[in-house]
Amino acid sequence: MKVNLAGMKSVAVPKKERRSGAVDAPLLEVRNVSMAFGVLTVLNGVSFSVPVGNILVMIGPNGAGKSTLLKLISGLLPLQEGEVWFRQKRLNRIAPHRIASLGITQLFQDIQLFSNMSVIENVMVGCHLRAKADFMSSGLRLPRARVDEQSVLATAMSQLSLVGLEQKAWANPGSLSWGQQKLVGLARALATGSELLLLDEPYSGLLTVEVDKLNQLILELQRQGITTLIVEHLTDILMGIANQVIVLDHGEKIAEGTPAEVQHNKRVIDAYLGSEQMADEGS
Amino acid sequence: MLVSIQNIREIPKKVASTNRQYLAVGIFAMLMLTIPLGAGVYPNTVMVEVGFYSIVTMGLILVMGFAGQISLGHAALFGCGAYVSGILTTQYHFSPWLALFLAAVFTGGVAAIVGRAMFRMHGLILAGVTLALNLVFFHLISSLSDLTGGAMGMMNIPPLSLGGFTSQNLLFNYYLLWIIAILLLMFSLNLANSRVGRALRSLNAYAGGSEDAAQVLGVNIMKYKVWVFVLSAVYASIAGSIYAHYTRIIEPGTFMLQFSALVALMAIIGGRSSPWGAFLGAGLIVGIRQLLQEFIPALVGGPSGSYELIAYGIILVVALLFLPQGLFPIVQKAMPKKKAIMS
Repeated sequence: MKVNLAGMKSVAVPKKERRSGAVDAPLLEVRNVSMAFGVLTVLNGVSFSVPVGNILVMIGPNGAGKSTLLKLISGLLPLQEGEVWFRQKRLNRIAPHRIASLGITQLFQDIQLFSNMSVIENVMVGCHLRAKADFMSSGLRLPRARVDEQSVLATAMSQLSLVGLEQKAWANPGSLSWGQQKLVGLARALATGSELLLLDEPYSGLLTVEVDKLNQLILELQRQGITTLIVEHLTDILMGIANQVIVLDHGEKIAEGTPAEVQHNKRVIDAYLGSEQMADEGS
Repeated sequence: MLVSIQNIREIPKKVASTNRQYLAVGIFAMLMLTIPLGAGVYPNTVMVEVGFYSIVTMGLILVMGFAGQISLGHAALFGCGAYVSGILTTQYHFSPWLALFLAAVFTGGVAAIVGRAMFRMHGLILAGVTLALNLVFFHLISSLSDLTGGAMGMMNIPPLSLGGFTSQNLLFNYYLLWIIAILLLMFSLNLANSRVGRALRSLNAYAGGSEDAAQVLGVNIMKYKVWVFVLSAVYASIAGSIYAHYTRIIEPGTFMLQFSALVALMAIIGGRSSPWGAFLGAGLIVGIRQLLQEFIPALVGGPSGSYELIAYGIILVVALLFLPQGLFPIVQKAMPKKKAIMS
């Protein structure tokens, strides 16, 4: 499938910053982040950084703390220890909607599409930060609100076209297959115009053809300069597209490197890949 | 695949269905504005009451049905509008129209302050806090007797007047109230189909929204909760002010928990998914109340008040069991078909 991003206006790094060389700094830096729920330590001193345009894949067994880390980055969980920096701005104690406005958005494992809206409206919520219409201008349907609405609608439609679901624009999300819902979730996330996408298990429940489509889309986004942080279990699929892999186990980072490096890391084999291989051999 | 121009051209067609909403509002407005011409004093008086409740319920629907936030304190907001209007006109001799406007600003301001604290809470705790608003308001009004007349209430509130007519005139009051109700309906419908409406619905966890998802898409959930509550308070305040200038007598007992519960019942019965639900809910409940007041005392004797409460309880249970979405979706289905963008 050919993916065309012609409809995307907001693309990663602003020209001003490209010129200033600010892109040389990592887009995202996680420094010594720890998190505990009561006595249970979920993350313990995790640090890593993601350069602009990279596809970072974070793998690890269930309960390794991957999803928690994504929520800490997007601000849905408050940071207890450590720091998160995005484009040299410290994200600690910043509300999630402010973090979204800085250029980070998240696709949830369970998608969380709004079932009280059509598919296109879901994506239009993703365009929320692109528009300015407030209560008064919306309620009075002032010209600027109408122009805003048209532009948001067109942008949302272009995002849906990107994932090949423009024909489903007026459907209820509940009527779509799981894979299609994931793509709508991705279109919604892309509609924010974010520079960093946090994708929590985007491949789970997808058919092979949908996996290929998603891979192509992520690679195309990379070409457009969008950085992706993927949390996933399906390591084989991701090793082909990842620039950087991080392995978490019991809340600690046990390995980091290129896919090839990580695949040959003994700790990783023992903690995660090994157990998968054993499971495969057993089956 | 590129975004085809054809796709983009299709968008206005879909949006055109909002024009159908305007058509519906136009027909509704014509209907409501011609009703009093052929009706007597009694039906018009009942319709005025429906108008008051419709405005307050419409505001509540924005908070409950759109943003998914519970509020059982709208009597306090309605009362706030009535009392501020009453105080400004009787004690400080403001023009009633200016008083109406200032009351709405004041009530909205109070709602903004209270809302910021209130919407840090969720679910039953939020419901409890909003319930407490009624009690706080009642005791405040009762204790500030120099300003409010205390338990005796306020009397001789001047009527609203325009072009030689005053709100003591039933027809003037009817038209004033229903024109405002229809304008607020238009405002609410526009809001529902806008960036703001989508943001509100995105955080309605009871109807398929998700606060987490809304936040990561950039929706400032606290801001939207507070602002929709403010808007709802302004609706209630406008109705309260008109009520004060219409009846010219207000007393604290009017603005108690029962009023809040009644408005919530109207929103539930009418349908929380659309501002139209306010008119259905208010019309039905006021109609039932009129029937009860007319027939129950004649049939079984005694005052109708106690039977009303029982009837409301039964209606609520039946509605929650058999019409959890209220009457609006049924009415909507009965309307001529043409796919709307949103329900």
